[in-house]
Amino acid sequence: MKLHEKILTHYLSCTSPVDKEGYLYKKKERNATYQRRWFVLKANLLFYQERPADRHLLGVIVLEGCAVRRSESDVQFAFSLVFEGPGLKTYRFAAGDGQTQESWVKALLSASHCYLSLLVRDLGRQYEEAKQQRGVGESCHSSFFKQSTTNFSFPVQRPTAEVREGRSFSASTVLQAPSIPTKAVAKKSPKLWPRRNAHVTPLNGPAPLFSEWPLVGFNPLEDFSTLHDYYGQEVKKAREEWRRSQRAEEEHIDGDLIDLG
Amino acid sequence: MRFNEKELVSLSRQPPERAAELGMRGPKKGEVVKKRLVKLVVNFLFYFRTDEEEPIGALLLEQCRVEREDSQSFSIAFLDEAERKYLFECDSEEQCREWVDSIIKASYEFMRKNLIFYRTEIHRLTGKDPLEQYGISDETRFQVNNSLQLLPRDTSSL
Repeated sequence: MKLHEKILTHYLSCTSPVDKEGYLYKKKERNATYQRRWFVLKANLLFYQERPADRHLLGVIVLEGCAVRRSESDVQFAFSLVFEGPGLKTYRFAAGDGQTQESWVKALLSASHCYLSLLVRDLGRQYEEAKQQRGVGESCHSSFFKQSTTNFSFPVQRPTAEVREGRSFSASTVLQAPSIPTKAVAKKSPKLWPRRNAHVTPLNGPAPLFSEWPLVGFNPLEDFSTLHDYYGQEVKKAREEWRRSQRAEEEHIDGDLIDLG
Repeated sequence: MRFNEKELVSLSRQPPERAAELGMRGPKKGEVVKKRLVKLVVNFLFYFRTDEEEPIGALLLEQCRVEREDSQSFSIAFLDEAERKYLFECDSEEQCREWVDSIIKASYEFMRKNLIFYRTEIHRLTGKDPLEQYGISDETRFQVNNSLQLLPRDTSSL
């Protein structure tokens, strides 16, 4: 099959933003050695070349239909892209350190077109609900971004969460019980639902009754939020643990300095 | 350039957003219209010879311009080469319109713009960032960029 490469390289070099780039080690299939490559992630495409300045691209991996996994392997900070299907590949990578590894795993988890499609659909629905609750014809506020603790227009350097395992979207792994993170368990758990509409609940009105929420008989292919119940909460939890351990570490370091006297 | 061919072929077999037999003509001089099974899957346009398992080729639908050529055909131009177009002939005006609409909306960049628009608007209306819930607020790909392009592309005129 012919892949029109010029279209891809043109897209890579055009002005739309790159989603992530950096050095990673890529495992060669044949002799199991790792080679250092410069990777560029853009949309659902992972390009790689020898060095950032190189014009010549070595290759591209289209990121649809694959799961992202942290792997226990012979090397540290390893992760892989596992394409699901008979005869399909697994690409293995290793990062230079834990933070790079987590950062790449997280970026790759949200890279697929399918993922974005569900996310847009979900947000589109939230937007309609929010508009209805505020009333149509409301004029724009002069302050474009409300003052809030989350100023999302500027990416904040927060510690990346420790993700034990994550999967890009595929119908079979939509619902995963938080207690069994390594297996895909198709379970419909009503307990996972209540969080969903938390932030579009109007402040001065009663929260919609559980039975009124449009999740009864939901189609997992259409409900992105339930897909993410496991992922989002797990990430948050891990991030909190990481922060706590960081704080503990900092205190310990301070203690040492004082002891020098 | 190497690419994950088997995996891409596998992708071409997934349920498409849209699929039909269309007349297709390549961009080079002297090319003729040929009947092809055209499949739109995520942001790729695959085209097959009728009744063949493996696609002949795959076109990435990013940074391209889709245009109506006449009542029943549309074209896709890549690489800012406005004259080098792929031409597609449909069976009806409606089918043509639907294809153009679907291809535009299939682009990753189009979807990203929509996402950023919704994210911004939901935050404005509710004071909350809808991506917090999913733990992806800090991902570079979902940030509002400098040009503040908030409006999704208007396809109502098509």
